[in-house]
Amino acid sequence: MTFGYSVHAELPDFLVTDDEVAPPRAIRVKVNRAPSANHTPGEPGLWIFILGDMTLFGAFFIALMWEKRQFSTVFQTSAAHLDRPIGAANTLVLLLSSYLVVAATWAHRRDEHQRARRYLHGALACGVVFVAFKAIEYTQGISAGHTPTSNMFFTMYYVLTGIHLLHVLIGAGLLAIWGMSLRGRRSFTASQRLTEGIAVYWHMVDLLWLLIFPLVYLVCAA
Amino acid sequence: MTKRIQLFCAWCGPTAVVVALIGFIIAGVLPLPLGPSNTTEKVMSFYSHDTRVAAGLVIATLGMCLVFPLIALIGVHMVRMEGRTPILTFLQLITGAATGVLLVMPMLLMTIIPFRPDRSPELTVTLNDISWLLFITPIGPFIIQNIAIGTAILSDRTRTLPRWVGYLNFWVAFLFVPDILAFFFHRGPFAWNGIFVFWLAFVAYAVFLVAMGLVLRKAVNDSPDTAPVERVASR
Repeated sequence: MTFGYSVHAELPDFLVTDDEVAPPRAIRVKVNRAPSANHTPGEPGLWIFILGDMTLFGAFFIALMWEKRQFSTVFQTSAAHLDRPIGAANTLVLLLSSYLVVAATWAHRRDEHQRARRYLHGALACGVVFVAFKAIEYTQGISAGHTPTSNMFFTMYYVLTGIHLLHVLIGAGLLAIWGMSLRGRRSFTASQRLTEGIAVYWHMVDLLWLLIFPLVYLVCAA
Repeated sequence: MTKRIQLFCAWCGPTAVVVALIGFIIAGVLPLPLGPSNTTEKVMSFYSHDTRVAAGLVIATLGMCLVFPLIALIGVHMVRMEGRTPILTFLQLITGAATGVLLVMPMLLMTIIPFRPDRSPELTVTLNDISWLLFITPIGPFIIQNIAIGTAILSDRTRTLPRWVGYLNFWVAFLFVPDILAFFFHRGPFAWNGIFVFWLAFVAYAVFLVAMGLVLRKAVNDSPDTAPVERVASR
């Protein structure tokens, strides 16, 4: 029995197992580019993260409604101070970015790398606009004396939108990674798991905002 | 023999959760932990059951030490994923060691509180604040550890561990994020005993320990037993 000791020279002996010396598995080549009907976007494991993260936000929403029942007048008067036009604009910005991500996925699938990159730059720009609007909103709110510790509504508002903002920032980083990977002109099949995963993540960020906006800005003020 | 040791390390994950739970229940930390809005009298009366509280916390502390063998086993599997430059493995081992200390230190502090039940109440309240906030808020090493594990699993072509475990680690990392809010709130869902702080972190870390333990147990069982002695002889 021969061992590839030259290959594993830097590994201590006890970490070299027989299966590491085995030749690498053949890489599957898929020819069909269009997703089949039972294809899971990204991969099945990804959905543990997506659904798990949405469960966390679901719990936030339940807590929000619970606190609204307890402090209904505080919630009404405080939610009226929120800047609804900015919130609505951010909703449209994220919807547009989601559309651009869809367009980028299809362009990438057809190996139109240049076009896919342009769409991704558009989506990234939407992300930057979202963050800028949010910064304006926070600055306005804090300078008007509404801080996270003011009352339970503003606590929930800052925590919910803050954690969502963290998701937007991570998503923007992921979109940038996708955009950079397009420079290498890798085929869609080689990067399908990564790109579809990033696209699904971005859609989740969008979907969460589509729930946060009506619940925090509109329902709480009603 | 190494296989048996590895299986022991894998079982340490779920066992840590069970032993820590038992310790917490004996000490009275569970089902309802003390919160930042509790009165001084409430805090004093909690620690007045000195022997029971101390005994329970000692058990919980020892249980939490069982994360160390699990972290070592995660490291062994991550080296297999990464090969010649196991940077994420080292990152996981460093941060994993830190998480173990960050779990044990606040528990030791809390165990010291019932040591002198006759000390002045303000000091007891302060010590209680310190041990709880130290226990809940240092999320950095935990998050880095989870991200290191997740990244290693997802970039591993040989499928040493199933890919969903990588995504699970990213999710757990996110669930720790609200913990830092414990510094800012005295009541409500974001206080240290709130649903999004203590309970969410507790559930997330328990899921991490149980899932990693069971997945690694399967990986160890499926791997061929490599005895070091044979290896030397065949060279």
